[in-house]
Amino acid sequence: MPNQSPPTRYSAVAQGFHWLIAALIVVQFTLGWTAQFLPIGARKLERLDWHKSFGMTILTFAVLRLLWRLFHRPPELPAGMTAIEKTLARATHLLFYVLLFAMPLTGWMMSSAKNYSVSWFHQFTWPNLIGPNEQAFNLLRSTHDTLSWLLFALALLHILAALRHHFWNKDDVLKRMLPFTKSEKRT
Amino acid sequence: MRNLYLAGTAAVLLGAAAAAAASYTSDPQQSRLEFVGVQAGAEFKGVFHKFAVNVDFAPEALASSRIDVQIDMNSVDSLDKDRDTTIRGKDVFDVAHYPTAHYVTKSITKTAAGFSALGVLTLHGVTRDVPIEFQFAPGAAGAKLSGSAKLNRLDFGVGQGDWKSTETVGDAVKINFSLVLKPKG
Repeated sequence: MPNQSPPTRYSAVAQGFHWLIAALIVVQFTLGWTAQFLPIGARKLERLDWHKSFGMTILTFAVLRLLWRLFHRPPELPAGMTAIEKTLARATHLLFYVLLFAMPLTGWMMSSAKNYSVSWFHQFTWPNLIGPNEQAFNLLRSTHDTLSWLLFALALLHILAALRHHFWNKDDVLKRMLPFTKSEKRT
Repeated sequence: MRNLYLAGTAAVLLGAAAAAAASYTSDPQQSRLEFVGVQAGAEFKGVFHKFAVNVDFAPEALASSRIDVQIDMNSVDSLDKDRDTTIRGKDVFDVAHYPTAHYVTKSITKTAAGFSALGVLTLHGVTRDVPIEFQFAPGAAGAKLSGSAKLNRLDFGVGQGDWKSTETVGDAVKINFSLVLKPKG
């Protein structure tokens, strides 16, 4: 259940989810965006193999993170923010959660549609979500691709906003997500 | 004396029956020849749409029984055009040089579960022994022959260049077949 009074910092668990998933997303962009320029062959297959394993890892963390988030309140946004800024911030975070699921799910469906089942680091195989279907694959690939650009833009906005809060507004919005720092008492 | 004569006739008749294995060919619409490989850590299945089957078989005449399958390698279908193009290409099946594969049994023996056969498979220009396990179920209009085999693709040189690595594509390949046989002639 949500606490009575909101915390002033993100908890260690929230920070762990945030930075771990952020790092995995950087890995995913590197693998996914470079793989598409490789010709069809073993090297491309291998790179996408890693991409899929990391993607399923992110999906698993996304499920855990969402469950955790449902029962834990994040710190409140600084009082100085305008209503529009707060709405924008909440919309950004909501969209992040949507993409955390949409990216791996469209990728997983893509693999299923192309009859390339998804392995998790060669330890086990995830079930196919849909049957082999070339049209569905083409649609899913363009969706996955478009969503990756959306995620990239959103991450850029997120980073710029965090820096703006830190250097311009001089509030603790960035610091409270950073491990090994202390947030000053908010006024 | 008469009984002995009858017994002798029966023995001759039984012997004749035992020696004759019935000849079959397969119904291509209902028969299936499937392979299961491991790619990027996950299994994938493919089939061959075109293959010719010639079977001489009778459970009581295994010595004269024989299974012969000729496979059109170009008819490979793994439910992905890109993969099929790669598989047909020179680094994998090289269908331009090796358009057909051929399997023929050398000996068939009865087992607890059904039958096992030792045969030779010629694939990608390489001939090797490959054992198979199968069941034979006679039916009203013919018979059903179904079973499986295991082989290592690299034994046949299937996978050159980057495809030699067993990290991306596993060496072991399973073969499953289900042949609906109809009498010849």
